[in-house]
Amino acid sequence: MRFILMMTGTRANWDEYAKWSKEDLEQNVAFMRAFGKELKDSGVFVATEGLGWPGEAKMVRAGKNGEAITDGVFPESKEFLAGYWIIDVESPEQAYKIAARASAAPGPGGKPGGIPIEVRQVLSGHADLGL
Amino acid sequence: MKYILLMTGKKVGVESYLAWSQKDRNAHMAVLRRIAKELTASGEFVATQGLAGPQEAKVVLGEKGGMPVTDGVFPESKEFLLGYWIVDVATPERACAIAGRISAAPGPGGMPTNVPIEVRGFASYPEPES
Repeated sequence: MRFILMMTGTRANWDEYAKWSKEDLEQNVAFMRAFGKELKDSGVFVATEGLGWPGEAKMVRAGKNGEAITDGVFPESKEFLAGYWIIDVESPEQAYKIAARASAAPGPGGKPGGIPIEVRQVLSGHADLGL
Repeated sequence: MKYILLMTGKKVGVESYLAWSQKDRNAHMAVLRRIAKELTASGEFVATQGLAGPQEAKVVLGEKGGMPVTDGVFPESKEFLLGYWIVDVATPERACAIAGRISAAPGPGGMPTNVPIEVRGFASYPEPES
């Protein structure tokens, strides 16, 4: 079963992250690298991506004539995707365990960040939705 | 430049989608398939993925006694990721134009869904110094 583990944060969370010390950032990045390597070594890794800053995010809607209407204004409460991992595991429980490790990635002062990680199954087809 | 186009929706939006007629759903999916085919032909396609329904979503918050702490309760206002497309395009404007086409895909009665599509770039992290 394939699952996506999503890390999200509001703009305030991103602003805090931007203020982390170089040491804290390095520690976090080192953890993420080791985590990624471990997923690869254990054969569950499918993909991972980190996304750019929310300040550059755009929202696009189709207009009346199908033209793209672009907007860059979001509510304060908006949860922005920061990055994700896609893993191929035997059970949802295994996905939750891996998500808990990502949630425990070190934050300022090396303490576990405790970032919530949303876990969702990835579809292989429309049939998975029961349609 | 790689961009990710994120389609999100609330639980009520997903419920109304599940209530669409088969005909409406087929027309919608046909357009999304055509867009994917065109992006493949133009060399801009990288990946696309649909996600399972929000009712199965869980959030994991650290662990306790070696077991993950999971929760499945979300506020009504929660925006769930429904699916995404990753495209490799020449400009941000092109990424937005593709997002506009996805947003214009037909919904019930053939009317455009106008579902908002979030367009985001990717982060680049420095390689470790050796």
